[in-house]
Amino acid sequence: MDKSKRQFLGKMASVSVGVALIPVVQVYAQDDKRSPQMHSAIEGQVGKRYGMVIDLRRCVGCQACTVACTIENQPPLGQFRTTVQQYEVSQQEDTTPPAFLMLPRLCNHCENPPCIPVCPTGATFQRKDGIVVVNNEWCVGCGYCVQACPYDARFINHDTNTADKCTFCAHRLDAGLLPACVETCVGEARVIGDLNNPNSQISQLLAANKTDIKVLKPTANTAPRVFYIGMSSAFEHKISGQAPVRTLLTDTGVEIHHGH
Amino acid sequence: MDKSKRRFIKGAAVTGGVGLFAAGYSHTLAQMGKGVVNGTSGKPTQDPLHGNSLAPEYKVDLQSGQLISNDDQRVANTMCLGCWTKCGVRARIDQKTDKIIRISGNPYHPLSSREHIDFDTPIKTAFVGLSAFQEQGLQGRSTACARGNAMLEQLDSPHRVTQCLKRVGKRGSGQWQSISFEQLLNEVVEGGDLFGEGQVEGLRAIRDITTPLDTNNPEYGPKANQLLVSNASDEGRDAIIKRFTFNSFGTRNFANHGAYCGFTYRAGAGALLDDLKKYAHLKPDWDHSEFLLFIGTSPQQSGNPFKRQARQLANARVNNTNFSYVVVSPMLPNTSNQPCAGNNTWLPIRPATDSALAMGMLRWIIDNQRYAADFLSAPNVDAAKASGYRGFSNAGFLIISEPTHPRYGQYLFASDLGLPFDGKAYGEQDSQLVVDAASGEVVFASQSQKAKLDVNQSVDTPKGTIAVKSSFQLLSEAAHSFEMAHYAKECDISEAQIIALADKFTSHGTKAAVISHGGTMSANGFYSAWAIMMLNAMIGNINLKGGALASGGSFPAFGKGPRYNLQEFDGMVEPKGVFLSRSKFPYEKTSEYRRKVEAGESPYPAKEPWFPISSPLLGEHLTAAVHGYPYRLKAWINHMGNPIYGQAGLGEAIGEQLKDPKVLPLFISIDSFINETSALSDYIVPDTLTYESWGWTSAWQGTLTKVATGRWPIVEPRVAKMASGDVVCMESFLSQVAMKLQLPGFGENAVKAADGSLHPLTRAADYSLYGAANVAYLGKAVADINAEDMYLSGVSRIQSELNTRLTPDEVKKVSYLFARGGRFEEMRGARDDAGNPSKVWPKPMMLWNPDVGSRRNSLTGEFMSGCPRLYQPALADGTPLDKAFDKSQWPLLISSYKSHTMSSMSIGSDRLRQVHPNNPVRLNEKTATRLGISTGDTVKISTPNGSVIALVECVAGVHPDCIAIEHGYGHKELGARDTVIDEIKIVANPLIRVGINMNDLNLFDPSRNGRYPLVDWASGASARQGLPAKIEKLS
Repeated sequence: MDKSKRQFLGKMASVSVGVALIPVVQVYAQDDKRSPQMHSAIEGQVGKRYGMVIDLRRCVGCQACTVACTIENQPPLGQFRTTVQQYEVSQQEDTTPPAFLMLPRLCNHCENPPCIPVCPTGATFQRKDGIVVVNNEWCVGCGYCVQACPYDARFINHDTNTADKCTFCAHRLDAGLLPACVETCVGEARVIGDLNNPNSQISQLLAANKTDIKVLKPTANTAPRVFYIGMSSAFEHKISGQAPVRTLLTDTGVEIHHGH
Repeated sequence: MDKSKRRFIKGAAVTGGVGLFAAGYSHTLAQMGKGVVNGTSGKPTQDPLHGNSLAPEYKVDLQSGQLISNDDQRVANTMCLGCWTKCGVRARIDQKTDKIIRISGNPYHPLSSREHIDFDTPIKTAFVGLSAFQEQGLQGRSTACARGNAMLEQLDSPHRVTQCLKRVGKRGSGQWQSISFEQLLNEVVEGGDLFGEGQVEGLRAIRDITTPLDTNNPEYGPKANQLLVSNASDEGRDAIIKRFTFNSFGTRNFANHGAYCGFTYRAGAGALLDDLKKYAHLKPDWDHSEFLLFIGTSPQQSGNPFKRQARQLANARVNNTNFSYVVVSPMLPNTSNQPCAGNNTWLPIRPATDSALAMGMLRWIIDNQRYAADFLSAPNVDAAKASGYRGFSNAGFLIISEPTHPRYGQYLFASDLGLPFDGKAYGEQDSQLVVDAASGEVVFASQSQKAKLDVNQSVDTPKGTIAVKSSFQLLSEAAHSFEMAHYAKECDISEAQIIALADKFTSHGTKAAVISHGGTMSANGFYSAWAIMMLNAMIGNINLKGGALASGGSFPAFGKGPRYNLQEFDGMVEPKGVFLSRSKFPYEKTSEYRRKVEAGESPYPAKEPWFPISSPLLGEHLTAAVHGYPYRLKAWINHMGNPIYGQAGLGEAIGEQLKDPKVLPLFISIDSFINETSALSDYIVPDTLTYESWGWTSAWQGTLTKVATGRWPIVEPRVAKMASGDVVCMESFLSQVAMKLQLPGFGENAVKAADGSLHPLTRAADYSLYGAANVAYLGKAVADINAEDMYLSGVSRIQSELNTRLTPDEVKKVSYLFARGGRFEEMRGARDDAGNPSKVWPKPMMLWNPDVGSRRNSLTGEFMSGCPRLYQPALADGTPLDKAFDKSQWPLLISSYKSHTMSSMSIGSDRLRQVHPNNPVRLNEKTATRLGISTGDTVKISTPNGSVIALVECVAGVHPDCIAIEHGYGHKELGARDTVIDEIKIVANPLIRVGINMNDLNLFDPSRNGRYPLVDWASGASARQGLPAKIEKLS
């Protein structure tokens, strides 16, 4: 009998008699020899091409994805792999009332990623399933990729001094799970899937909404693989508008932090 | 011209880190080139590619769907308490450290999933259903919101209270000493010179349930009423607190946070639904409605249940046919969705004028006969059913309309006419009457197929003629009290827009609904909420697919259940007397009233307002105790409540007095953190967090199926233990107090099982465990847990605890419940074959509510209106706010809104706060320009009794008269200041102090005798919307 099975039964011994007699089936411990081979983290899931659709009609701006990501991936406080920015959109003519647009952003896992050629060490590369990753052991933290990314999706992690970014939660995808942001998306706006499979939900969504699909900075020739449904063309390019107030003040006027 | 070029785009009040991305970027610049030369000098990541990301909780084979568990982690279904929605969540726990490492939604739970999975689903199948296998997890996702994800940080926060604390120095000094539980128990029960400030009466001395506390006013009840017990709200442990308070200790005085949450809405909805006891309310049928109107609520931002209604609304936007909605609010709410512009609109309104809009709509609907006449004229449920409706109204019921009649405002009954009736005259079996449309005769409401709607006539009775009107007639007259132009001017929405909205609302048959909530927390809030909710009655949408729905209900844990009777016990005390907040008790029944009448004086005004239609009001309890009217308190036990932070103006009004032991001799808090209220206490009993405690609760509303959310200690509680080994927390404290005082209802033989055997109620877990057994056996008993579920759900860690109190059979079923985080009715139970909800609201929709219309304002002596009508926000004596406070000095109106990220108790989470670290106030850009204010300016905001300094964002999305303030910031405690325990300083986190708390912008009611924060004159709920204010630029 293998070790994991013994551990399992050992745990069950504390259960009241009767329950413990029920046969245990199909629950295997992680190191069980019968567990299937998971994918190579470097190669990725060969044959697939991961992408994400974000349906802005569904986004409720709740920031659950932002928080789930920061807890799942543990970047330093103040650094984010994904964000949801909230924009007030109003008309000059003042005839229609303003409205909110919530814009989730993350690494676009581009088909033509400008971050890769500039990497001097080869630390940044694209897996066969399209996910752009960074090898932290090779990354020297030079920041060229951060500069090269037109989407501000990368940052130098203050703890590790290496380039950091969204990986589509490759560690979860490779375990057969969904990325943190997707599984906690309250409005079910984020959909991840295999673009190579025409039957996948993402492919179906893209097909059903083909007249309303946009990407960020389509002219940057990056071929992003994060697609938006319901995005006004005003948001495709650099958004020039009033920035939010970032200074942190107490109600007695003490400045805790001066914002940019 | 490209349409997009005309757009102005602003990063609005809430963002996810534009600046923070930039911060990372500038850091990057400093690193440029350095790395190429020197290599990285950072801390190596755990994994070369996956960095420091968490190891997966389990794996699922994408080919076979096989689940492979990870022995280093467990996943447990439990309950969130990041806000008061109380969603079911699943928590990942590190087996080695016993820390919660991430939280998401419980797939069995209706509040966390669009369509929750069947209750009998094996845990393994549930987990696979969340995974990427066959993409099941996309449709089956079960989510936590931002707070829900983040609240795990509370568990090991440096600011947590884990041991019994006794104050050092004066109340509020921030200095404490840790003491044993046994010392704390002894001191609070026995009293003595506890602080070197003189003798303090302990709970033993206060507990006297026979001697009147005031012989001149015997209706105030016994001396035991001088203990106040408050509970923030029912987070699953309310029942044991009420058992202790009412039935063991025997005090009348109990309250929760409703009075400063959304009580105006609940009271208004309760008035409509003939439920002034539990204040039932309605929620729209998100999945099938065609038009929804939100006035004073933003379902994609807050409300109960926030997350569920946000998700259902998002789904409706994409999937419902012919669907649109309008959200009415002084500030652009998150419910606005620009990508779907055209099917959703924000309609700006002047703060605290919702009733003008609603009354204008009602007037137009009545004038143009756009109401559902067949619904309104059906005087009973059968008559309504014949016309395709699933509820009825009292529109045709006759109301005594002579102001001089002793029963003015109440129903005309069969007994009034000398017709036969059962039971007592005017009792439940006496019949209400209508004028039958066919015969023109006055007949029993239950026997008419169709009632006349507009009745204004006299009825001959054996005692003479009585003038009566129908409910509909009275509502119609109230709506006609003002012209449309007046309503339009009041709310700053044009007549044309009011009409368009009323037209739209009445253009979808019963597939439309309107709801409200905390936006009505104004000094006219009760009548505003009732007017808004009354619109539902006009279209007869109740209990219908696409309309307004009743609650899905619960599996009650703490009643007279199938296994244990948790409702009754030998020797239980019936609490007596007047609530401190003068709620549920008419002034006209007091000795004060009688004395004035006997002395030949006018009985009005009462010394302070009475609130005959209201639940107990925590704020008014406290101001009453401080002012000594109707009487004072000797002790207050507060569980988790934070009225000083939560109620507008309360901290400034009575904060200093609460620090005075002469005003409040003994103050005990039970809490896991030191909040703005518990900071003032004498003792703090540490409490278990939701992840560490036992409890049973339900959804407030908004689910179509029964919900019983069960929670259990998924990790080892961090709190101290008492000598017996039991954890120190709320339940163990109350149990030990009761046992020390030998009160009924606690102790070795306190709980009777269905078989007559007696069981102990002595330990923290006991009450909830018996409750769990009740839930498990209600109706068809749930299955026994199997080994696989046991292993995967983590409930094996509580087996020994379950075994201490429950039978082996009960343990197996209760384990099955806890493995799933409660008990939940299947989705297929939600609707009947026609798609109508299975659960229906059985009582009539009340166009006129006799329980309201027969009561008087205790200050003016005038009758309260028995139906909605326009009232301006006003002081307790009826003086409108704009008369009491000169508009030239106070030109703006404050309005607060709930944050979708921050609740009143979540500021301590770093990973949440970083996403949204501040709450700059939002001001209309044109108003700002007029005042010379720009985005980023520092301003001083003042109300007649308070001021704060704040930063401003100037936007288009705020009404020009409004200063919009997001709730959840500006904390003074919860780690915002240094705390000293046993001379060790727990250093403050200044980020917790950031921003402002709207409730520090005080307004005291000048028509009252002392410092009382402004409340809604009708309900006594906190008034935080529409307070007069001004704003001045400082820099």
